[in-house]
Amino acid sequence: MIHSSAFDLTANAALVRLPNGLSVLACEVHDRPVVTSMIWYRVGSRNEEPGQTGKSHFLEHMLFKGTDRYGKGEIDAITLREGGSNNAFTDTDFTAYYFNFAADRWDVALEIEASRMSANMFDADEFASEKEVVLEELRIGLDSPWDALDQAVWAAAFTQHTYHHPVIGWMEDLERATRDDMEAYYRRWYHPRNATIVVVGDFDARAALDRIEELFGEKPEGPAPKLELSREPRQQGERRVTVERPTEVERLQMGWRAPEVAHADSYALHVLATLAGTGRTSRLHERLIERDRSVITQSVDYTDRIDPTLLTVRAEIRPGRTLPDVESAIRDEIARLQDRPPSDEELARAKRLMRARFILEHDTAANRAVTLGLYETIHTHRFLADYFERIDEVSAEQVRKAAGEYLNSDNLTVGHLIDEGASAR
Amino acid sequence: MTNVRAPELKVERTEMGNGLVVLLAEDHAIPALSINAMVKAGERYLEDAKAGWGTLAGEMLIEGTLDRTAQQIAALVESAGGTLKAAGGYATTGVSLTLLSEDMPMGLELAAEMLRTPAFGADRLGLAADRRLAELRAKHDDPRWVASTAFNEIVFEGTPQGRPLMGREDTIGRIVREDLVAYHHRFFAPNNALITVVGDFDAAEVAARIEALFGDWERDPGFALPFVTEPVRYQPPRSRFIRMEKEQVNIFLGHLGVRRNTPDYAAIRVLDTILGDSPGFTSRIPRVLRDEQGLAYTVYCRMAGSAGIDPGRFEAYIGTAPENLDRAIDGLREQIALMAERGPSDAEVAEAKAYLTGSSVFDYETNAQVAAFLSTAEICGLGFDEPQRYMEEVSRVTTRDVRRAARDYIKPDALCLVVVGEEG
Repeated sequence: MIHSSAFDLTANAALVRLPNGLSVLACEVHDRPVVTSMIWYRVGSRNEEPGQTGKSHFLEHMLFKGTDRYGKGEIDAITLREGGSNNAFTDTDFTAYYFNFAADRWDVALEIEASRMSANMFDADEFASEKEVVLEELRIGLDSPWDALDQAVWAAAFTQHTYHHPVIGWMEDLERATRDDMEAYYRRWYHPRNATIVVVGDFDARAALDRIEELFGEKPEGPAPKLELSREPRQQGERRVTVERPTEVERLQMGWRAPEVAHADSYALHVLATLAGTGRTSRLHERLIERDRSVITQSVDYTDRIDPTLLTVRAEIRPGRTLPDVESAIRDEIARLQDRPPSDEELARAKRLMRARFILEHDTAANRAVTLGLYETIHTHRFLADYFERIDEVSAEQVRKAAGEYLNSDNLTVGHLIDEGASAR
Repeated sequence: MTNVRAPELKVERTEMGNGLVVLLAEDHAIPALSINAMVKAGERYLEDAKAGWGTLAGEMLIEGTLDRTAQQIAALVESAGGTLKAAGGYATTGVSLTLLSEDMPMGLELAAEMLRTPAFGADRLGLAADRRLAELRAKHDDPRWVASTAFNEIVFEGTPQGRPLMGREDTIGRIVREDLVAYHHRFFAPNNALITVVGDFDAAEVAARIEALFGDWERDPGFALPFVTEPVRYQPPRSRFIRMEKEQVNIFLGHLGVRRNTPDYAAIRVLDTILGDSPGFTSRIPRVLRDEQGLAYTVYCRMAGSAGIDPGRFEAYIGTAPENLDRAIDGLREQIALMAERGPSDAEVAEAKAYLTGSSVFDYETNAQVAAFLSTAEICGLGFDEPQRYMEEVSRVTTRDVRRAARDYIKPDALCLVVVGEEG
């Protein structure tokens, strides 16, 4: 039996930076005959200018449409023949691409990434038809009540910073996007200095590094990845938004401005988010589901980002109960966190839950690669090396203090999703 | 090219004196393990008036036992950082735990209590039934769920698969504690139960603990599973339109599928990979309807995915803007008919086989995946060498086999259609 305290995601992870600025994280794990290869670009909806939203995600779609070396559809065809899988995802702070292959053929992925880092084709017809696909993806979101409410809350909470707009973009911006703008955006952000390659699994790191140098070493470093973003000014007073649409179940989302990943208080806030909302022993579960019986589900989310972000609480209101009642119960629970530090037992439970879930979530090469690449892109992967030591150091008093400092009404945006016509009745 | 080999799962299978089947597979990759404890019970064995009772009974397993309250159980698992899920499904009902290795004894103890002595407290049942009723209403906001549910009603008419696993408002609104007690008495017997443990542990130690915890559970000598109605294979095609104010129309097209243990399973997987279920947009339907025509973000077609103890569904799905409705349906019909009439090319078959054999290593990567596979293998009678056997069968599949499977299992004249959304 292996003891859980020995688990360290970064234990075998070696970071190398090529002369042209490309970061390479190689991590040998030999327990399964598979390899995940990823490339992360530090570009996402955060980098998008007004009127041009949704471009990062649309660009991700275009990277499957062919390069100078791979014809249209060929990247998928190769993946199929080699028995692998591939996909990509875009968020506020990054765009990431992955391939999962059996261990004996990891270099296929790197060859493809090398080609599409600098030689992607932007065929006009392909661009036009893929635009329709992206618009369909946007429509799926419009049909989802949670997506509609989430967009309204973020748009209200951020007025100047680009976290204001959704990753998928605004429909009008997507409709008028052009092929030339897209290629210019690609030239600006896709180059070695703005990228990290992550390889995790059953391979030889030395051989992989040699191959990566061969494939990427000659590429020019590209322009300095410069981004001038407006800082979000201090919020003065609570903000409220209402979304009306036909629904049988009303929904609540409360978002407090909360610090970025590199901020020292992010540890205490993660502990707070866990004890407030993770699991059946969490405070909001006990209050809203067990005691008040006023909601169907609740969740607390605090996702690490490059810039100051939101800590959000969400709840689906049980038919027959009211949004204001649930909102006031959540405010009660926040006030309780601000008044008194959690007990040692509660604190210890939250910390252990965080550590164990982290281990249990990293049982595949793919999941390990995602976490290593994510943190190297938004901060540094070394952040993970002492993460749980820093979490262990969080005191009950620090949790109370963080609740007071961040979860107050000057940081808060409240969103209500109500049944269409309900406000008139 | 294929030097990938299917994993050889070293499984220790024992049947205890009372009939309980125990499957143990050690794997020391990470300091954790998965425990599945289940009985053969669920919606499959319930008449229509009890729709949803099986899945609700499954959820109630973690809502308290004779020895512990729901909150005590949650505190025990969450203090250890583990996850506990209780689920009643179509043909199986039970709990699954994922824990760090050091918490194995606690996990087995809880599994034994939850399976053998659930409390089914009236208050907890009231809470769970209320939650289920609210969830059913929340589902009405999800047009894809509405479409999928209506599609099941048509394809599986008159059988338990034809109704939502969650049940309906009328059946859930009626359930009382005695119903759960009777259900438990009927189905929860050691000779109808299965415990699977996969991960970082010592098999001899776990076997001894299971014997101590379950050994005195008394066999039900007269136990037999109830008779289950078979769905009609191909009915005259029917269609249904459900109006919802939405940005997209959600479309399902298809008919009854196959059982997991069909001898043609490998050929059907190859068929799916070519027609509509493969990575990226390599298969015909996503390639034509998404990649070439830009009609959809999500579009697929498959048969093997839902194959289980009973026949699943052959389904094509697309979500598209209302003005594309006719083009989308015609496009799906055309591709399905083309495959049924002419079958695939040799090159398509070769590529699909390379994919299926090369990717099978990803099917058994995690403890939870292996535990789920072992349970399914036991219940569907597949044998634990299924990974190797499946690889061999796929590599033996010929173009003729796939052509025959397409002709035998796809009936373009029997396609049922469900559309949910605005009219085009």
